Amino acid sequence: MYLDGRTPARQRAQIRLMRGGLEVSTESGATLWWPYGEVRQTQGSYAGEEVRLERGGDLPEALLVADADFLASLHGISPEVASRFHDPGRRRRRVALTVLAALAVVAIAAGLYLWGIPAAAAVAAARVPVSWEERFGRSIVEHLVPAGKACAEPTRQRIIDDMVKVVIAPLPRTPYTFRVTVVDDPTVNALAAPGGFIVVFRGLLEETRTPEELAGVLAHEIEHVLQRHATKALVQHVSTGLLFTALTGDVSGVMAYGLESARVLGTLRYSRAAEEEADAGGMRLLLAARIDPAGMIAFFEGMEKRRGEAGPLLKYLSTHPAPEERVARLTRLARAPVPAPSRKLLDGYDWADIRRICG
Amino acid sequence: MPRRRLFFHGGGGSLFGIYIVNVLFTLVTLGVYYFWAKVRVRRYVLSQSEIEGDRFAYHGTGRELLIGFLKAMLFFVVPVIVLTVVRDVLDVWIGLKVLAGLLMYLLLVVFIPLATVGARRYRLSRSSWRGIRFSFRGRARDFVKIFVVGSVASSFTFGLYYPFFDTQRHAFMTANSWFGTRRFDFDGAGRALFGPFLLTLLLTPFTLGLIWFWYLARKRRYFWGHTCFGAARFRSTVTGWPLLRLMAGNLLLLVLTLGLAWPWARVRSVRFAFRYLTLEGPLDLDAIQQDARAASATGEGLAGLLDVGGGFDLG
Repeated sequence: MYLDGRTPARQRAQIRLMRGGLEVSTESGATLWWPYGEVRQTQGSYAGEEVRLERGGDLPEALLVADADFLASLHGISPEVASRFHDPGRRRRRVALTVLAALAVVAIAAGLYLWGIPAAAAVAAARVPVSWEERFGRSIVEHLVPAGKACAEPTRQRIIDDMVKVVIAPLPRTPYTFRVTVVDDPTVNALAAPGGFIVVFRGLLEETRTPEELAGVLAHEIEHVLQRHATKALVQHVSTGLLFTALTGDVSGVMAYGLESARVLGTLRYSRAAEEEADAGGMRLLLAARIDPAGMIAFFEGMEKRRGEAGPLLKYLSTHPAPEERVARLTRLARAPVPAPSRKLLDGYDWADIRRICG
Repeated sequence: MPRRRLFFHGGGGSLFGIYIVNVLFTLVTLGVYYFWAKVRVRRYVLSQSEIEGDRFAYHGTGRELLIGFLKAMLFFVVPVIVLTVVRDVLDVWIGLKVLAGLLMYLLLVVFIPLATVGARRYRLSRSSWRGIRFSFRGRARDFVKIFVVGSVASSFTFGLYYPFFDTQRHAFMTANSWFGTRRFDFDGAGRALFGPFLLTLLLTPFTLGLIWFWYLARKRRYFWGHTCFGAARFRSTVTGWPLLRLMAGNLLLLVLTLGLAWPWARVRSVRFAFRYLTLEGPLDLDAIQQDARAASATGEGLAGLLDVGGGFDLG
């Protein structure tokens, strides 16, 4: 079949393979000469597909050849001619190469995911100035804790600030100033924004039974800040996104939505690792500050029990480490060095009263 | 009456082969190959799509796409960054900050319509069937007008204007698409979709929102049913349940394989679209001549920035 590039009419055509080119005789009686040097093949590299040859610039003429042996005949003419056209004999090798490419992709992607991205995140996070982190962290806290929702009853706030000082006392020197904000919200949660901003929700505060329990939570959050987990998470989020874009290319609509979920699943691994680091570091901090680690363990145990009511799938999807493991690991860490005689935090204060910072 | 169907000859396996090599090269070239990768996928999908015994062809190149992307960065991303810096960081006269804010707002308003029109113009101009190019001849300025008026009207009517807006956009996109010297026609009107839209809105809380698949199917049937090519008319018989199954299936496929099954999901979508679509009536191809229009890939680049171009709908 011959298409002239000017009308959509298909014309039957006879093609004769000559030494220097194709001689095309069309239905309308015209005879065209296509030198091999000007012909390009744009289709026909899959089995069962017709061969499409084009000649000319932007709006080319085209020949469509359904004959399965056509390519083989072309390859019989001369090596120079053969090199311009697809060789059906090589399809098997193409399959092998594709499999090889797939293996390489899996290896590269796994390497990036397991080592490349965490390493890049660590390098990038270490280079972000503390002042940037502080500016970023402050805007997060302002967003999370709108004016009027912060509980800042001065006496109790000072007690909590002093507790932070006790926890960080063993640290040699830190570029961060830690600021704890208690927010009037029943959620049982606490989080660390970059730059030393720690937000404790009222719900969590009310859940703590002793000052040591709160100290454990604070130590955990302080470690998030010190190890720059928020900044790392940002880098990890962006680079996992880039990796997924490279893995999938042109995607839109529902498929993009599906990929976004896949990416979220992908970053869960990183956040679990961060939580484990914060647990371990927090425990070290507590021990160094001679605070009884039982409080931290008891609090997380209580938390996990409450969360244990969620189904097994939810646990799998959680950003936090698996509960039993977490408590077991904390207990192990608490035993590791010879436990120094611990001090009692806030001896002589009524913890239940301090917890009522939100009135 | 002759009833024509589109066929898709490709398969997930072949597309996976293209895709996995694309991924490899994209990773190895630190992303530069991305544009060539896009071209290879599009060329495959179009060249495996057939109607009336002939396949479509895609003529775009990776170089074009790369240049389009760079130009889009230059015309859009760089100004936005400069304006943001002027507005938020630099210590300059307040009037200048206000002006920068306004300009940025303006840029963002025209961004989506410009990108949508640009992407369509580019993609149609690079697609052909039987050697004849498609083209898009709508003026971007008209689409910006439709877009701004429609967005404002939709928000003032709490979304009730949306089906009219949607139809106007679709009409503009369709009725400015050409195959050679022949234009596609669209004779639908938004009011036909208003009833179903309202019903869908009312039923949303009782159906967990799933009713929207039925609306989407209804809309597709309506849009295709009012699209003509000369004396021939399209007809879509798609319904809500299969559409829901398709999308849920694709979603599951992608999530469970962390995106690796993307080629199969793509092939499922294309096959699905073709299964429910026919073109009925005389084509009268003899009256059509080649009439290609130039188009730059800048709009395509813009669309790539925010992914607003959408898939191919093959005219």
